Amino acid sequence: MIRLRTLQDYAPSVEVRRVIYAFAGAILLFVIGQIVHPGFGSRNSIQEVLVIASFVGLVACGQMFVILIGGIDLSVPWVLNGAAILFVTSALGQNSRILFAVPLVLIMGLAIGLVNGAGVAYLNIPAVVMTLGMNGIMQGLTLGISNGLTCSSCASYAPPILQNIVNGKLFGIPGELLLWLGLIIVVTFALGSTTFGRRIYAIGNNAEATYLAGIRVKRVTVALYMLSGMFSALAGIILVSFGGQASLGMGDPYLFQSIAAVVIGGVYILGGRGNYLGTTAGAITLVALVSVLLAENMPDYGRSIIYGVVLLAILLLYGREEREA
Amino acid sequence: MTVKESASQPEVPAPTIAAAIEGRGIFKAFGGVQALDDASFAASFGEVHALVGENGAGKSTMIKIMSGLFPPDSGIIEVEGREVDLRSPVEAQKLSVGTVFQELTLLPWMTVAENLLLRHEPRGVGGLIRRGDLVRRAEAIFADLGIEHIDPRALVADLSLADQQVVEIAHAVDRKPGIFFMDEPTSSLAEREVEWLFRLIRKLREDGTCIVFTSHRWREISSIADRITIFRNGRNVATYPAMELGEDQAITLMTGRSVSAMYPEPPSLEGQEPVLEARGLSGQRVEDITFTLHRGEILGVGGLAGQGHRELFLTLFGVLKPTAGQIVVDGRPRKLRSPHDAIRAGMGIALVPEDRKREGLILPMPIADNLTLPILRRVSRLSVIEPDRERTLVRQMFERLLIRASSGRQLVRTLSGGNQQKVLIGRWLLANTRILLLYDITRGVDVGTKHDIYELVLDLARQGCAILFYTSDTEEMAHLCHRVLVLREGAISAELQGPGIDPEQVVAAAVRGSVRA
Amino acid sequence: MSAVTRRRSPWTHFVVQNVPLLLALFLLLASLIVYVVLFYGNEHRIPGNFEATSISNNALPLAIAATGQTIVILTGGIDLSVGGMMDITNSVTAVHMHDSPGSMVLWSLVVILIGAAGGLLNGLLVAIGRLQPILVTLATLSIFQGIAIKILPTPGGQVPPSFTNLLTNPNRPTALIYVALIILLWLIFRRTSFGISIFAIGNDRQAARANGVNVLWARVGAFILAGIMSALAGMFLAATTTGGDATTGDAFTLTSIAAVVLGGVSLFGGRGSAIGSVAGAFVLTLLINILFFANINPLYQSFYEGVFLIGAVVLTVLIGRYLRRAT
Repeated sequence: MIRLRTLQDYAPSVEVRRVIYAFAGAILLFVIGQIVHPGFGSRNSIQEVLVIASFVGLVACGQMFVILIGGIDLSVPWVLNGAAILFVTSALGQNSRILFAVPLVLIMGLAIGLVNGAGVAYLNIPAVVMTLGMNGIMQGLTLGISNGLTCSSCASYAPPILQNIVNGKLFGIPGELLLWLGLIIVVTFALGSTTFGRRIYAIGNNAEATYLAGIRVKRVTVALYMLSGMFSALAGIILVSFGGQASLGMGDPYLFQSIAAVVIGGVYILGGRGNYLGTTAGAITLVALVSVLLAENMPDYGRSIIYGVVLLAILLLYGREEREA
Repeated sequence: MTVKESASQPEVPAPTIAAAIEGRGIFKAFGGVQALDDASFAASFGEVHALVGENGAGKSTMIKIMSGLFPPDSGIIEVEGREVDLRSPVEAQKLSVGTVFQELTLLPWMTVAENLLLRHEPRGVGGLIRRGDLVRRAEAIFADLGIEHIDPRALVADLSLADQQVVEIAHAVDRKPGIFFMDEPTSSLAEREVEWLFRLIRKLREDGTCIVFTSHRWREISSIADRITIFRNGRNVATYPAMELGEDQAITLMTGRSVSAMYPEPPSLEGQEPVLEARGLSGQRVEDITFTLHRGEILGVGGLAGQGHRELFLTLFGVLKPTAGQIVVDGRPRKLRSPHDAIRAGMGIALVPEDRKREGLILPMPIADNLTLPILRRVSRLSVIEPDRERTLVRQMFERLLIRASSGRQLVRTLSGGNQQKVLIGRWLLANTRILLLYDITRGVDVGTKHDIYELVLDLARQGCAILFYTSDTEEMAHLCHRVLVLREGAISAELQGPGIDPEQVVAAAVRGSVRA
Repeated sequence: MSAVTRRRSPWTHFVVQNVPLLLALFLLLASLIVYVVLFYGNEHRIPGNFEATSISNNALPLAIAATGQTIVILTGGIDLSVGGMMDITNSVTAVHMHDSPGSMVLWSLVVILIGAAGGLLNGLLVAIGRLQPILVTLATLSIFQGIAIKILPTPGGQVPPSFTNLLTNPNRPTALIYVALIILLWLIFRRTSFGISIFAIGNDRQAARANGVNVLWARVGAFILAGIMSALAGMFLAATTTGGDATTGDAFTLTSIAAVVLGGVSLFGGRGSAIGSVAGAFVLTLLINILFFANINPLYQSFYEGVFLIGAVVLTVLIGRYLRRAT
């Protein structure tokens, strides 16, 4: 039987293409923005967009890990919100308390992820249900314990050192962006060149076969949900360090955006394909889109509609499933 | 020694009746693979026509095209002399073509009755389905076909694989097809069900149905087929009346090679030490199993399907938890909580499952990733993968197993079935497996590759690997194994010593139990 | 072939094959009992007409939305745009419906049409566009929310009282009639070709296709039905609250999924009953009341809902495992 080799034999190029498309989309949006609203393409403006995108990118990182193995994390909103509130009430605006508050909050995120992962991996609870329930639990706990954000310490600010790190600049680049760049490098390397990444892709493509090849699938699953929880919590810390105070509902937009960023970036929603570079591009594209619309003084409802339409357009471009034989 | 094949279409003995269905000049390619290359096939009413050939020879593709599952790239299909354009299996059904495909088309979470009568449900007021009548009609269909042991109210997912296959066949037969295709209908069936199927086929033949089926079991083919067509490399090589074709000749035509001894001799076992023991092992479907497996030994596990074989293998691999008894490796009882425990260095147990595409390989990933998955630590330092070390190991396997692929980066799903099987076995060789659990690895594998696998298995045994071997092919088991344990209802009902075990004895022990040889 | 094995009775089959549904109904019963007990503890009388009316009026929109969600989930998909559609139709109802039979009939039909149109959009994108349902409906959710805000930028509008009396009468639990209607329609649906094809697709899309099911149009049809149900739910919501609010529907997306899950419908598709989802909707509504009468701080409400949701699913999984092993 004659075996002709086709381009499909070499999958990496498909993934590379998707990342390129995603970045191209982001750049296109900046160009459109500059045309429609001069000044949008200025250095400062781009930096602003990138900083906001980094917040989405942070949450999307955790979401990406979980989606890569075929799961999803719907607990992002209130893990983020709860972490933000826990942080300001623990740090109380004091630098000296950073070493206490930051680990505390990150451990909280890890713990919630642990519960999520355990439910999904060991109790076979569908991820949608487990993380949805967890979101409700976090919402109740956060609202209840903080008494609706009316507790005395709830209005605290983030400690000044952190505010400086996030808002300050090094070599003219915002600290937040440097942090994000570091994360991008580490995560991309981890996914592409470590045994950890190899296991993730194997599980995402075929969990059963991976289990029978000796990989402890359940442990990896739990670990990934823990990472997602940690990243949501980290985002909470960074958001308050950026903006100052915690508020109720601050985490809500990040659920939609984290999933959209991941998908726009070429990660397959059922798992097994994708990387963080694409997710980064997806986050930038999304935030750039919103910024362009905001700059146009587009009213609320218009933004919603265009958001959805653009997402559909991008999905139709390259999010389509195989035709069924 | 190769056999020259005729350049033109072979002489087909003129059938006494006109062709019921005929395909001519069929071409079909998938991606870069030419599955059918100017293929042709014709079958008549009132005959049983067997279609044989190696995996990838094109038989399944031919059947799928003539069943309307997908169209050919070019070529003509004629039903009763009239050219037809089959756009879907449903359209084919309208032309009285019925098919049982290799992949079951049953809906697992619906009942047997619902499946049997899908889209032909008995209706009542307002065109609504009458559920009571549904069950009654299903019962009637079963009674007609001589099926007594399947409950129409049961969920398909709760049935054994064999019973599911029976339901699938019943579903197709109920439509009263004039032309009936069956692609490997017996692969999941045990002896008794195969007998039932053949009785059914004979009756259909009496009624004038044209029956076409494929199988890898020569015994079956020779016992029921009227004519045999051999496919190789995507075309029809020859068609013979069954009585004029011998097995060796058929194999030669199928593979293009002459057949040397089909089953190589197992190596002699002299005082090898035990490496794996089961002591009073009980668990899901497994009752008090005790046996010893020695280095270099090939121990067969036989019996009818569903008697606990799968559960035994899964328990030995750490997937299922035993409720009693011990697994002893190198003299020490071990607790295996997952495949991870079974595989790790010092234990060296590996399972090669029957469904390599779903349970064995990760099709969308490269060969290299599949090969090194259990031994990631050996190709990495501090969790960072070292591509050079990986490439070296991959190359080793390519050379040793003669894997035909362009490189380790090629995706496994683009490989042929035989090469895929080699990658799977290669993985366990790399993992320094000492105890190999082979579960039905030759199911659905063609003759040529089967031979390669036998050679490989014996080679491994010669090098000291201990092998536990389950196969649904009793001939195979009888010839290859040093000893055979027969399982019945989860317990060992017989132990047969080789070499030269009589397959009949294996069958007898499987059915009746308690035979000591 | 082999000898006849003993057959299980039809009832045994029904029970074993419908464990999740039975659990859901049991859950409903348990919730009712707990509610009655707590209510009595607080008010020193058993719940009466008023309570029954308000609970059924509150549960009805969710029950309707959950039924639509059930149909989509049965095909193996999911519909996140439920809330957005409810936003649109409850705004439309509040803004446009006037107190005349003609207006009410007309706008009810418009609502149904809007739902069908939205569902058609979802269905086409999924079936012909070959996009994942979760992503399509995420996007259309955003679009629908935007449209709703355009129609009704701030909460307001007025639903004619006679319409409210018809749908969600505040004096008598006539809402239960609609619940009965849903159940009846579901039983009919399950016995139609379309209903069977929905189940078939959720079981195994390839197998369904091989059996001649028109998978493409069945999937589109499922989303159209869900769209219509979501639209009706929004209309009923407007009737209950007597006014309009372009964002009240948002919460219903996730709660409709919760109701479906509590109702024992498998998120993987192919198995389940809308009767369970309706029961799930009532359980969720009763839960809120239970928390109220147990004097739980309302800020903690979500916590208990979350625990409850997870707990109910864990229970179903465990019982299912136990039963599988025992039989």
